[in-house]
Amino acid sequence: MPRIVAIVEDDPGIRANYADILKKHGYQVSAFADRKAALAAFRSRLPDLALLDIGLGDEPDGGYTLCRELRALSAALPIIFLTARDSDLDVVSGLRMGADDYLTKDAGMHHLLARISALFRRADLAREPRAEEEIVERGALRLDMKRFQVSWRGAAVDLTLTELWLVHALARFPGHVKNREQLMQEAQIVVDDSTITSHVKRIRRKFQAADPAFDAIDTAYGLGYRWKS
Amino acid sequence: MRFGLQAKVVAVALALSPIPWLGQRYVNEMEALLREGQEQALLATARAIATALHERPELLALRPGVPASGEMQRILESLGRAESRIWIVDREQRLLAIAGDLKKKARAEPRRAGALEWLVRAMRPLTSLVLERPSEDFDDALPESEISGGAEVRNALQGVPAWRWRHSPDSRAVILAASHPVWSGEQVVAAVVVEETTNAIRSLANRALEELAAVTLVAFALGAIALLVFASRLSGRLRRLRDEAEDAIDSQGRVHKLLAGSKAQDEIGDLSRSFSTALERLARYNAYLEDLGGRLSHELRTPITVVRSSLENLKMEPLPEEARVYTARAAEGLARLDTILTRMSEATRLEQLVRQGSRERFDAREVVQGCAGGYAAAYPGRGFEVSVPDGPVMLRGAPDLYAQMLDKLAANAVDFATGEEPIRVRLDSSGGLTVSNRGALLPGGMSERLFESMVSLRAERGAEPHLGLGLYIVRLIAEFHGGRARAVNREDGSGVVVRVDCPVG
Repeated sequence: MPRIVAIVEDDPGIRANYADILKKHGYQVSAFADRKAALAAFRSRLPDLALLDIGLGDEPDGGYTLCRELRALSAALPIIFLTARDSDLDVVSGLRMGADDYLTKDAGMHHLLARISALFRRADLAREPRAEEEIVERGALRLDMKRFQVSWRGAAVDLTLTELWLVHALARFPGHVKNREQLMQEAQIVVDDSTITSHVKRIRRKFQAADPAFDAIDTAYGLGYRWKS
Repeated sequence: MRFGLQAKVVAVALALSPIPWLGQRYVNEMEALLREGQEQALLATARAIATALHERPELLALRPGVPASGEMQRILESLGRAESRIWIVDREQRLLAIAGDLKKKARAEPRRAGALEWLVRAMRPLTSLVLERPSEDFDDALPESEISGGAEVRNALQGVPAWRWRHSPDSRAVILAASHPVWSGEQVVAAVVVEETTNAIRSLANRALEELAAVTLVAFALGAIALLVFASRLSGRLRRLRDEAEDAIDSQGRVHKLLAGSKAQDEIGDLSRSFSTALERLARYNAYLEDLGGRLSHELRTPITVVRSSLENLKMEPLPEEARVYTARAAEGLARLDTILTRMSEATRLEQLVRQGSRERFDAREVVQGCAGGYAAAYPGRGFEVSVPDGPVMLRGAPDLYAQMLDKLAANAVDFATGEEPIRVRLDSSGGLTVSNRGALLPGGMSERLFESMVSLRAERGAEPHLGLGLYIVRLIAEFHGGRARAVNREDGSGVVVRVDCPVG
């Protein structure tokens, strides 16, 4: 049975194109143009994954509201923000609403598909009680790449998918400097340099919330970042 | 030649200068009038005495032993005036009687007090130079020639009343003499001459002129001070307004607010307010321009997404080989559009970051060394020569941003560098960072505008789109570190140096 991906997007062209691509990749798609229609449908039946735009018609922050309402309906439902807005403020507020990831619309389709399949994989594993694990351990860091769980000194750190991939890229080879292009490739994003900087800043902040002494991510100025071994 | 506001106000004040001249004319007229009055008065006196003597011809019996005495004396005294001298001659022009004195009796001038009086006295040395001061110290002798040869005497003896102005023998005083015949029947038997100096009138006129001078001086001084204060205040405020207006837009295109006279209710206040309004509009427009990049990239993103997703859909369709060429080209164009959008949003994101960014202390030396190490790999065809001081260079800001700034500077230098000469990156211990390359010089007058948003001086179009945002980002980051960026030509004219000065601390 195909999985249902819900798209909430007010631009009809984008909505139809995304729906088509997702259908070609074997997903069942339900598309909505505004928050009310989407919410009404979600109340009767939850999709398996939701792609939300932030500005919805005449509601500039409709996506945020919808995300909160969806989270109230289901804690496990994967939610991805897909939006033209890319300021740090938008990213932070989007993630605070409980989204699993945040993509700007200039990200390629394959980046989006990679996230969708990764999130579905995680959802599948959550259902199976005894699943195989893909664990990366580096000192105090423990990454579960299947369930997307990160912990530092035993305490869980809540990272988005993109952030998890970034940490994974860095921690896989401790001591090696990863430049920004490499990081973008591993994290399946195309952004400008300063977005990588803000991502790293947010990751550090999340780790520091668990452990104020966290300083495992090192900046190699002009080169990139490195996980301290 | 340029006249300041003060000079003009003083020139306007000069228009008041005829006032003392008019005053002097007035005093002179008054003096003439008084003299006329004196003439009439003396004539009347002479006539009165002549009439009195006409009734008592016996008094005219020759009495060579002047001065007059007895009844004659009484008549002369009763009809005479305070400071006049009266004498009578007979037909043979022999002096019959004389009475009175031309000199003023020692009557003290009434002492007046007051500031004006004080000023009048203080100005005496000056006014004496101009005014002819009557003197009581003159020769009041009555020379024989006046008795026998005076025109007024002759006229009177011929039966015609007359008067004449003459000088005292030593020319120190002017004397008015009025004469009148004394008739005896049809015959003139004697002539009465009444004399008086003009000293009283002169003193009066002088006094008036002195007071006029003093009052004028005071009025002028007060007026000049008032005008000067007014003009200085005006020109001071205008100067401040001018200075502020000049500084209102700094070399990097930022607009500041005007403060001078912003609350004043007069025209200068109006001027500064309308200046402020104009500047505010300019600032809004500038902000709009700086925002434009971000807004455009935001607005363009949706239609570009439509194009991209359509192309991605198209790629999955079975298409003839010819059609693939076009989708490939469209994808190429889209990639370039993406680069542009990314650059534009990079600047916008940076602006936000700079606005809210938190600062830390960091060693700029480490950043420069680290970055420079990376450039060798990033730009393989171009050499880099890096020099840093021995000690740490602590700046307040964000090392990430500082590195981003250096990236932009390096990319800019690489784009413009020609020849084999390496790009020189130099950090000095006072926080100055220079990136210098051999190559084309900056066109005159553009060096400051280079750091504005969307200003680019590139002559040829490269493969990469250029939006003129690189140096704008440099400027944003330099300002975030409390510094400023400048671009100048090398002194020997071989290339360009971009310099960023950030304060250490």
